[in-house]
Amino acid sequence: MSAFQVPPSLIKLVTLLFNGVLTSLEIFFLTLLFSLPLGLLTALGRMSSQKWVNYPIRLYILIMRGTPLLLQLIFIYYFPFYLMPEGLKFRLPRFTAAIIAFVVNYAAYFAEIYRGGIESIPIGQYEAAAVLGFTRTQTFFKIILPQVIKRILPPVSNEVITLVKDTALVNILGVTELFRAAKNEANRTFSTTPLFTAGLFYLFLNWIVTKVFEKAEKKLGYYR
Amino acid sequence: MQILKVENLYKSFAGSGEVVTDVSFEINEGEVIAVIGPSGSGKSTLLRCLTLLERIDHGTIKVAGETMVETTPQGRVVYASEEQLRKIRLRLGMVFQNFNLFPHFSVMRNITEAPIHVRGLSPAEAGEEAEKLLAKIGLTDKADAYPYQLSGGQSQRVAIARALAMKPDILFFDEPTSALDPELTGEVLKVIRQLAAERMTMLVVTHEMAFARDVADRVIFMDKGQVVEEGTAKQIFGDPENERTRNFLRNFSANHKLG
Repeated sequence: MSAFQVPPSLIKLVTLLFNGVLTSLEIFFLTLLFSLPLGLLTALGRMSSQKWVNYPIRLYILIMRGTPLLLQLIFIYYFPFYLMPEGLKFRLPRFTAAIIAFVVNYAAYFAEIYRGGIESIPIGQYEAAAVLGFTRTQTFFKIILPQVIKRILPPVSNEVITLVKDTALVNILGVTELFRAAKNEANRTFSTTPLFTAGLFYLFLNWIVTKVFEKAEKKLGYYR
Repeated sequence: MQILKVENLYKSFAGSGEVVTDVSFEINEGEVIAVIGPSGSGKSTLLRCLTLLERIDHGTIKVAGETMVETTPQGRVVYASEEQLRKIRLRLGMVFQNFNLFPHFSVMRNITEAPIHVRGLSPAEAGEEAEKLLAKIGLTDKADAYPYQLSGGQSQRVAIARALAMKPDILFFDEPTSALDPELTGEVLKVIRQLAAERMTMLVVTHEMAFARDVADRVIFMDKGQVVEEGTAKQIFGDPENERTRNFLRNFSANHKLG
C-alpha cells in the first residue's frame, strides 16, 4: 500500500497552489465580466461615424494593444500615487489595480473582435429588419448580435486562453496568484516542482476553457 | 383607394450621377404593377426609396394618404417624424432578391418574430397566422427548418410569408427570382400570382417578362432613371408607343423566349 501513498509534501504543495488558483480565477472571471461588455461598447464607439468618438477610441485601442500588459499593470498601480497632482494622490489596492489593467486591456482586444464580427454581417440583414419595422436596438440585439457571437467564438476563445496565462503577470504587483505562490514555494524549497505543478494547473484550466468553447460552438452549430 | 403616390422623385448617389430622375406614378388598392427595364435603369433604387432604405433627394411619397416625405417649394426634402415613419413602414412589405432570411431563426420564427415584437401579437396568435401563411406557400412541413436547409425557391417563399405576416398594405418585390436557378422561379412566381388573384397590392421589379405580361395590371418601363412609358400590360407588351420600350422588348424577346 505504501507505494500508493501520496507524500504529505505534495498535498501541502497542491493546497498552497490551489489558494493561488482561486486568486487567478478571481482575476480571470472579473476580467471577463467587465471586459466583454466594455469591449462591445468600445467596438460600437470605434464604428461610430463621429470622429470625436472614434478617434479617441482608436488611440485607446492602439495604446492597449501596442504596449505590454505588464507595463500597463505597473502604470495603473503607480499612477494615482506618483503621477497625480498633490492633494489628489491616493493608493489603489493592488488587486483592484490589476483588475482595472486587465479589463481595459482585454476590452480593447475584444472590441476589435466584436468589430470584425459585426462588420461581417451582410447589410441585407439590417435592411430586412428595418423593413419589418424592428427598431435599431431590436435589430442589433435580436438579429445582429446572435450571429456575431457565433462568428467570433473562435477568436474569443483565443483571447480567453491567453487571459488564463496572463493572470500570471499580476505577480509583478505582489498579488499572490498561482504563479507567485509557485515561485515563492520554489524559492523556499530550492525545487522546480512547484513551478512545474503550476504549469499543469494552467494547462488544466485551459483544457476546461477549450472544452467550454467547443460546447458553445456545437450549441450554435444548429444554423449556418 | 390610393395606396401609393409618388411625385417627381429624384435620387442620386455621390459619384454615380442621377439614378432616379423625375419619377411619378400611383398605385391603387388591389393593383399589381410590374416595373421593367434594363439593368441599371434605377428600378431597384426606386424601390429602395419607397421602402425607406434610401433617402430621396427630391419629390413626394404618400402612403395610403399619409405623407412619408415631401419637398418644400424651396426644395427642402422633409421626411415625416420617426414616429410617423414607423407607422408608415408597417404598411410596406419588401421581398428582397437575396431573401435576407434570418439564418439563426427557424422558418417559423422568421415569420413570427416581427409580428410578436413589432405588431405586438402574442406568440400563440403569431404562430397561428404563420401556420396559415406556411400552408399558403406550401411549406407547412418546413416550419422547424433553418434557412440553410431550404432551396432558393423555398427561401424566397418564406421571405414572402415573412413580409405578409406584417399585413402590409402594399408588397414590394425587388427582382424576387433573379437569384434563383431557372427551375426554381416557377414556385415563387406561382405564390405571387396567387397573391395577385387575392387582390394584394404589389409592385414587382422583375426581368420575368411573361410574368409581368400575365400578372400585372399596369407596367412601368424605366430606362436611365426615368419612366419612359407606363400603361396596361396589354398595351406595353402588345403595342408599345416609345422607341426605347420597343427596343428593350425586342432585344429581350430575342434573348429569352416570351413564353
